[in-house]
Amino acid sequence: MSALPDVRTVTRIRARTGMLDFDLKSVWQYRELLYFLVWRDVKVRYAQAVLGTGWAIVQPLIAVAIFTVIFHLFAKLPSDGLPYPVFAMAAILPWTYFSEASRRSALGLVGDSDLVKKVYFPRLIIPLANIVSPLIDFAITLLVLFALMAWYGIGLSPNIVFIPVFVFMTMALSLSIGLWLGPVNVRFRDVMHTLPFVLQIWMYATPIVYPLSMVPDRWKTLYSLNPTVGLIEGFRWSLLGHGTLDLMALVLSATVIFASLFGGLVFFRRAERSFADII
Amino acid sequence: MSETPSIVAEGLGKRYRVVTPGSQHLSLQQQLVRRVAGAFGGRQARGDFWALRDVSFRIARGENVGVIGLNGAGKSTLLKLLSRIVEPTSGQATLHGRLGALLEVGTGFALELSGRDNVFLYGSILGMKNEEVRRKFDAIVEFAGIGRHIEVPVKRYSSGMYVRLAFAVAAHLDPDILFLDEVLAVGDLAFQRKVFEFTKSLQKRDATILFVSHNMFSIKTMCERVIYLRNGSIEYDGRVEGGIELYERDCRLAVVGWDEAGAPETWAVFVDRCELADADGRAKTVFDFGEPIKVRLGYQIRRPVQSPNFSVSFVRSDGVTCCTYSTEADGLDLGMLSEDGSLELELPPTKLTAEMYSVHVTVRQPGYQDLICAQIGATFHIRDELLSHHFGVFHERATWHGSPQPQPAAPALTRPTAFID
Repeated sequence: MSALPDVRTVTRIRARTGMLDFDLKSVWQYRELLYFLVWRDVKVRYAQAVLGTGWAIVQPLIAVAIFTVIFHLFAKLPSDGLPYPVFAMAAILPWTYFSEASRRSALGLVGDSDLVKKVYFPRLIIPLANIVSPLIDFAITLLVLFALMAWYGIGLSPNIVFIPVFVFMTMALSLSIGLWLGPVNVRFRDVMHTLPFVLQIWMYATPIVYPLSMVPDRWKTLYSLNPTVGLIEGFRWSLLGHGTLDLMALVLSATVIFASLFGGLVFFRRAERSFADII
Repeated sequence: MSETPSIVAEGLGKRYRVVTPGSQHLSLQQQLVRRVAGAFGGRQARGDFWALRDVSFRIARGENVGVIGLNGAGKSTLLKLLSRIVEPTSGQATLHGRLGALLEVGTGFALELSGRDNVFLYGSILGMKNEEVRRKFDAIVEFAGIGRHIEVPVKRYSSGMYVRLAFAVAAHLDPDILFLDEVLAVGDLAFQRKVFEFTKSLQKRDATILFVSHNMFSIKTMCERVIYLRNGSIEYDGRVEGGIELYERDCRLAVVGWDEAGAPETWAVFVDRCELADADGRAKTVFDFGEPIKVRLGYQIRRPVQSPNFSVSFVRSDGVTCCTYSTEADGLDLGMLSEDGSLELELPPTKLTAEMYSVHVTVRQPGYQDLICAQIGATFHIRDELLSHHFGVFHERATWHGSPQPQPAAPALTRPTAFID
């Protein structure tokens, strides 16, 4: 199938009506562009860096080292019986993916404003490409985590087969953030400045440097409304085989994520009509 | 020309919401609330503005159609709608066949990546599939004349190489329909030449071309039909000459929207005639390079004015003011004006290069004080095969000395045929 219609194909241009007309078919038609945008992001990121993809490894390792010193050695935070570096890293990696994917998909429209202004393609391609490209870093760093686990003599848990479920949910959450904030950032660049520290605060509202068990029981339901709680716990459970899966928290996370994704799609589709005019 | 439809537009319209004065000072929060409500179609903003309204036409395969109109008439909006960059508010259009776009040089290029990578990236941005780019890759590199530099990051390319590569990809798209906005083609001479050759080759292949330009010469050269837009609606659709005539009539004596001059009704002086003539006094709008030009102005005096300073400026189609003639600068005093009158300005042989210019007439209080009238008068073209704006704003002959002494060239060499106009 061709990315653009061939000679006999007819392109119809008209105002889209209906809030639920997501036109996912044309996103599928443009999947090669999606692929090339991801490929560009990955290549450009590591072009002219001596360490290349090594940076993907070094960054989370440094974060783990800092967190271990500050939160484990100084603050004496518990880690549910696991070695603290492993405990922290199993959460830092998916969090790093999540925050990178959210940030890039929210800011990507403005980053590629030249394309948005001058070329037609389904605009959804941009946030989509931006949640896919950080997956590469995530995959590489997972291997580092496995090495660290081996060092501490922790074997892989059979729960690991559920990893794709959590990855998929994290992608969906990042995408929904991109869909909500991307159009806002087109209009108000404030998003660009606000998002990094919102993500920073969000990180501390998620059991990453501390275990979920530290959260008082009466706050737990409210706390679990934060969709990253169920996700991070899910990652720990499937990577480290640690604890039991809190199905309740997970279902809650999934509900919040997909509601937000759906709303984001509607919002994005409405807003995208004016991207080319105001970006 | 076949009768197969290529572009069919039916009642196309695009509405923009005008930002009401003062609303840009609302807080982010207030704007957000409005914006979100607006995005959900909550309420109708006041002050709607239709950039394009009820535009219908039918273009057959192989037709070359020029889209002309004053600035803000809706030409770019029309192209944006048809290329799906913005969505129409009303109506619909149908395109039959593959659409090609000529992007501004380098749009979508990733500077860090090699020429090879960029061929694939750019190809996919233009809508080619990977397999197609792979198949045409050798031909693209050959066409671009990049050779072994194809493996070098494009940020190290010279601007010429850059243009050639981008163009080579675009030229291999083999579109059935091409939208060409002349504003985009304002690259260097090499790029313009490439664009022109490409367009010619498409015309031979029976592709449909929609060409937006302010340059009536280009329109005459390339198109057999024009669509003339005025205030977002089609005013004329037909043979080129008729459309250009309308366009040039509308170009005459428009009032410039300068705040400084206040509302036109309040002006003490109003220019009601502005025409150009050659040395023999014959009115015309196309002059050869080096030809003397006369500018004739007629004005109404609504309130007596003491020693007004009349200025006539030639402004190139890209907005550059090339020269200004002023009664005061030439040491003249018009005295007390209380009745309608006229002025004739006789210019030396013009040195302006081949382009389209408009005549801006302004009247100020003596000493370049307050503006009391600002109008755009006639539009005219300077014609020359060689001396286009790439030679700069003006051109004059000079004398060259050297060792060895340069000799006069054979006539054919002094005047190569330019590619456009």
